[in-house]
This record gives sequence, C-alpha cells and structure tokens, in this order.
Amino acid sequence: MNQAVQKRDVFDAIADPTRRRLIHLLSDADELSLHEITPHFPMGRTAVSKHLTILKEASLVHDRRVGRETRYTLNASPLKEVEDWVTFYRKYWSNNMMRLGQLLEEDEE
Amino acid sequence: MSLSLNMDFQFTTSVEKLWNALTDSSKLAKWIADNDFEPVVGHRFQFRHQPNEYWDGIVDSEVLIVDEPNQLSFTWTVGDERHTVTLTIQDMGDGKANLHLEQTGITNEQGLAGAKYGWMAWVDKLVKVLLEQ
Repeated sequence: MNQAVQKRDVFDAIADPTRRRLIHLLSDADELSLHEITPHFPMGRTAVSKHLTILKEASLVHDRRVGRETRYTLNASPLKEVEDWVTFYRKYWSNNMMRLGQLLEEDEE
Repeated sequence: MSLSLNMDFQFTTSVEKLWNALTDSSKLAKWIADNDFEPVVGHRFQFRHQPNEYWDGIVDSEVLIVDEPNQLSFTWTVGDERHTVTLTIQDMGDGKANLHLEQTGITNEQGLAGAKYGWMAWVDKLVKVLLEQ
C-alpha cells in the first residue's frame, strides 16, 4: 500500500480525459516509460509528462528512475475514494426509493 | 471534477402520484428526510437526516427545475461538495412510471462539464476492475 501523502484530490486528477486515458494505458501494462507513453497521445512529451505529474500528486502513478529514463506504474488504490462516492449514493438512493415504493403502495390502499 | 450517478426505478403508480410524492414536503419526509421543501424554483431548503458522528445530517438545497409532472431538480450541498440531483418521471404505460435519478458532483463549477458523460461507465467498469487486481 502506498502511504505517501496525497497532494492532489483524486477526483481532480481523473477529471481530465487525457489522464483517464493514461490510467487505462498504464492499467494494461506493468510499467511504461514516457518514451513509450507519448505516441499514444496527440501531444508532446512535455504535456504528457505534466499529466503524469498530476497523477503522481494524486498517488495514482508511481515513478522510478531506470538509467536515463523514468518509468511509470499505476497505483489504483486512490480510486477507492471515487468508488466510495458512487457506492454511498447508490445505496442511499436505493434505500430511499424502497421507502418511496412503499409509500406509493400505501397510497393505493 | 464532475462525477455522475444515474439510476432508474420503476413504480406501479401514476405519473401524478409519483410527482406528488416528489414534491409534497410531508411525503418527501417519509422517503428522503425531514425538510422544508417547496416546489418553487429558487426556493432554498434543507433535508435534515438523522445526524451521526461524521455528519450533522444537513443537506442544503435550492430548487432548480419544477416541470410538473416531468422533472424536478435541486442542488445538494454537503460541506464542500455541491451536487445536483435531477429526478425525471416517464410514463411507461400499464399503470407504471419510471423515475430516473441523476446526481452529478461538481466541485469545480466550470470547465469540466464536458467530461460529465461517460463518467458512470468509467467508474463502474474500470474502477471496479482496477481495485479487484
């Protein structure tokens, strides 16, 4: 588990479509270098690198130096927060709607 | 960010009765929470849930859309989180009505609106897959 302090909100980090694509790409690979990642995007290394930095700040990406290049891996655990948001409200509304269903049935009687 | 939750519920009732259950304060109290709701655009109100140790139970809201008997929309603010809840009724015939619920989460008002659609599928599929690894 990654214990590093998250400098950036995970929702903020994944709000951008390029960064969501980066997550997809990294989820299909063990580890990728900037050199391998860049051709997948219609932008230059610098722009891709900036997006990776934002993902890193949200602890969604880990990086390590290998010789002259930096290699990136995905760390999916911060996405738990996103899942929690959805799960919380899905349960909340399901429970409420069950009560609404009962209320409407009572009205019929 | 802009995250959205979409759910559908079917009820054996008329559109009018369902609309009434969404817009009558005493009925809302029975299925959401105690409130001072009024079906008037711009009306500010609160849902007061049972408080717990993490949350005082208060949701601050403002009515955005009252389109009788089709659509009701209001803001949903808890702390820093400002969401919008939109309830849309559709007559399914045969004495059935569908209620579509959309809750969008907005912490950054502008700019990210375009990212809204496709969010749910992304969250549902990818996030689940990634976390199961």
